[in-house]
Amino acid sequence: MHIDVFSVFRNTADFSGVLLYYNGPLSQNVIATMGEILRHRLGSADAGGPKGRKLFSSFIEMAQNALHYSPDAPGYPGEKIGAVAVGRRGSGDYYIVFGNLVHNSQSQRIRDRIEPLRSMTVGEIRNAYREQLRQEPCVDAASKGAGLGFLTLARDASEPIEYSLIDMSGEAGDLAYFYIQATV
Amino acid sequence: MNDFHIARTDHTPEVDFRFSEHCLTLAGEAYPEDAATFFQPVLSVLERYLGSVDDCDIEFNFQLVYFNSASTKMLYRLFGLLHDSACTSNRVVIRWHHDPEDDTVLEFGESVHDDFNALEFVPIATPLAAL
Repeated sequence: MHIDVFSVFRNTADFSGVLLYYNGPLSQNVIATMGEILRHRLGSADAGGPKGRKLFSSFIEMAQNALHYSPDAPGYPGEKIGAVAVGRRGSGDYYIVFGNLVHNSQSQRIRDRIEPLRSMTVGEIRNAYREQLRQEPCVDAASKGAGLGFLTLARDASEPIEYSLIDMSGEAGDLAYFYIQATV
Repeated sequence: MNDFHIARTDHTPEVDFRFSEHCLTLAGEAYPEDAATFFQPVLSVLERYLGSVDDCDIEFNFQLVYFNSASTKMLYRLFGLLHDSACTSNRVVIRWHHDPEDDTVLEFGESVHDDFNALEFVPIATPLAAL
């Protein structure tokens, strides 16, 4: 990256209130380390408070989701990759956006899981969460988090979850890029 | 039965099950890479202990400050085991430590309280720094 390109990149990140940005391999250690950095980057007022905890929770859910469900990076067997940006808006809210590869075949399932959450009230999300908690395990074999992951994100967010699925089947096999964003 | 202990790491909790004193404690944070792999041995040892005692006063100290969704599911199963025991053979009190500002931990405690009503549930507001 040339200095002028990096300068634009840095200015854009600054302007967008970015506190943490990462794009690369994912592992449990990378996630735990980034989680610690995220806590340090929050102001002392927020780090131990409800917002800081919800942001940390959202970060962990998104990152472990990517670690567990994304296919290996093309050309790197066994390696999972992901991109994340966490930032603070002028309003004092935080945003977190995560991106990772998914199989195109998973796209519909992701839509079916997130779309209903977007129109639920806080009370409906809480009830759905408690209902899911009571479900016996292994109802959904494809889900290690037992279906609580997206509900946890919805519970912690102050606005509906945003997401986008971008078909990349031309360039990277049968893959799509999945972005998910939450406001806390 | 021997006491059971797992030291805490940055993403797994301390498990301090003093079966000899009927005093069980979970403390720290829980977001292991695979929650089932971490918690299954904990559930197994707890189940064996509960099967071996009768007419006991069991104290469970819940002092987790963060647990991810997969761990939440495993914890719910853990409280299910304690509830089953409380329904049949033992008295179980849950001391539910939570930061006064942490709605998430308290709400999970309320779910546990509502769904497993044979457990005596004692919420204890404790500032985060003391947990």
